[in-house]
Amino acid sequence: MKLVRYLLGIIGAITLVLLVSGGCRPKQEIIKIAAVAPMTGESAKMGEDISRAAQLAVDEWNSKGGVLGRKIELLIGDDRADPKDAVSVASRMVSQGVVAIVGHYNSSCTIPASNIYNEAGIVMITPASTNPMVTDRGYRTIFRTCGRDDQQGKVEAEFATNELKVKRVAILHDKTTYGQGLADEFRKNLWSEIEVVLYEGVARGDKDFTAILTRVKSLQPDLLMFGGLYPEGGLIAKQMRELGLKCHFLSGDGVFDPEFIRIAGPAAEGAYLSYAPSPQDIPTAQNFLKTYSERWGEPGPYSLFAYDATQVILKAIELAGTTEGRKVAEIIHSHPFEVAAGTIAFDQKGDPVKAPYIMWQVKNGQLIPLSPSPS
Amino acid sequence: MFFQQLINGLTLGCIYALIALGYTMVYGILQLINFAHGEIYMLGAYLGVIAWGWATSLFSQNEVIGLEFLIIFSAVLLFTPLWGIAIERFAYRPLRYAGRLSPLISALGMSIFLQNFVMLTQGAREKVFPRLFGSSGITLGAVHISPVQLTILCGSVILMGLLHLLVTRTRIGTAMRATAQDRQMAQLCGININNVITVTFAIGSGLAGIAGVMVGAYYGMINFYIGYQAGLKAFTAAVLGGIGNIPGAMAGGIIIGVVEAFGAGYISSEYKDVYVFIILLILLIFRPGGILGERVAERV
Repeated sequence: MKLVRYLLGIIGAITLVLLVSGGCRPKQEIIKIAAVAPMTGESAKMGEDISRAAQLAVDEWNSKGGVLGRKIELLIGDDRADPKDAVSVASRMVSQGVVAIVGHYNSSCTIPASNIYNEAGIVMITPASTNPMVTDRGYRTIFRTCGRDDQQGKVEAEFATNELKVKRVAILHDKTTYGQGLADEFRKNLWSEIEVVLYEGVARGDKDFTAILTRVKSLQPDLLMFGGLYPEGGLIAKQMRELGLKCHFLSGDGVFDPEFIRIAGPAAEGAYLSYAPSPQDIPTAQNFLKTYSERWGEPGPYSLFAYDATQVILKAIELAGTTEGRKVAEIIHSHPFEVAAGTIAFDQKGDPVKAPYIMWQVKNGQLIPLSPSPS
Repeated sequence: MFFQQLINGLTLGCIYALIALGYTMVYGILQLINFAHGEIYMLGAYLGVIAWGWATSLFSQNEVIGLEFLIIFSAVLLFTPLWGIAIERFAYRPLRYAGRLSPLISALGMSIFLQNFVMLTQGAREKVFPRLFGSSGITLGAVHISPVQLTILCGSVILMGLLHLLVTRTRIGTAMRATAQDRQMAQLCGININNVITVTFAIGSGLAGIAGVMVGAYYGMINFYIGYQAGLKAFTAAVLGGIGNIPGAMAGGIIIGVVEAFGAGYISSEYKDVYVFIILLILLIFRPGGILGERVAERV
């Protein structure tokens, strides 16, 4: 009996080995790339926008025969907007033999996950993480197609100085990597004559900002700047008007969401937000807009960036003639790429050379771009 | 600025007080901390949104604004007490003689269940609460009181007054106080304590439901998670005032609201929640029973 069991075990082991090695061969011919973003939880919509845009780009390449004569497969990873999950999903992607990553969404997830991609020599392009730290650590394989908070903060600060001509500014932030980072960059780029009367953090998830806004009101600023996301941004805009605070409200791309207008209601009117130019105004993006909306409906705020990130990865693999991450990364650093948003070139850090930020304003319940192209 | 912060704090405090009453009444009678109470508040807010949907589908124009209020508040006053009673019936009554720890665990389970139930059925994204009030308000010098704040302040004071009358002047109130003092003795005197407990849960849940609607109208935004945060603060308010004591819960709620507003307004909003707990710690060191905790006779 014992002998039979041993024999069965050995036969089983051999079949397993054969199966695994047999299974490996076709896999080498498929090129795996992955879209990693929050697919569940509060930011699930952003993850969906990103993975759908990446899927669109992959399908377009596959219908033309793939890249390097091999088919492309898109894996989807869920980091649940949590840095801990981001690290574990990143390790899983590396061990599954993924050659490039489109993602993550939150700066707080992208930063720890990029350590893993960089060590493994895998190209990562984030479509949405705007914190400077993402590309400031000298990692050669880490890129982004969106702008940086210091570029965004600078655009906002110049707008506040030159267009709004403010004298006194109050700054609030939500104490996150993104929110505080943006508030800091805004503050740094303000003219020295402008007085910052208040700089303070508020808690994410809080609903009552009346106490701090009452203090803001007593300091009589011309502008209230908020670094954070739309749930708090909407409530702050609403409560400041209810308290009779009449100064301008300015915020960044984290607040740029139709939900902001729904939460703040009429109080959103006149709010200034910095964001990328509308894809509708970019001639080269029309084809993307058409195919995306035919297949998935209206594109989200980061869909175009995710689509372009996927395009850059696939074009660079083709130019490099290999999927070896470090070689692909050098190609991305040294070549300009024709993508849906126009021509994109990356600097030595991995940021796009041209900062794609302009100011938008809420008018009659709609977000309207104030200038058609970035200045 | 002082008076404006006071108004902000009082508004917040009234909400905490309304929720704290439910904690304290249940504790007075069952010595049970009903952790699912915060979720009733959250359910009340969601019910407000749903009832507003019914109201607007019934009356296409905003011809009768008072009618919307009537529908929302009667829906909340009808359903939240029923939910409170159902929670007691299913989660606590079978465990009433099972020691103190089992109902507590059951309460935590109920809270987690309700939160996730709402998350799955209503979605995890924030819901926008309908604008029930105008934005004009009253301005007295530098103080601005919005119509919502005024409604919350007046409404809570009226509700608390009614509750006080109910507890001190009516038959059922007397029965509640008797049950709180000594459950067995009350039973021997012919009081049906099951009825008393049912009424207690119904009243506490109704108050929490109304608090939920008022908060929804105040901030204009709700999510499935608000019950946890508000419940924690209200529970602190109940402990601060002396758990089991009705006037204590009202006082505790208002103190917490005002401390939060002044702390955030004058010191820093980054550590808003810290001030409340510092006050609680200091108080518990010197008066472990809470502000009004020692007058056992009044607890319900």
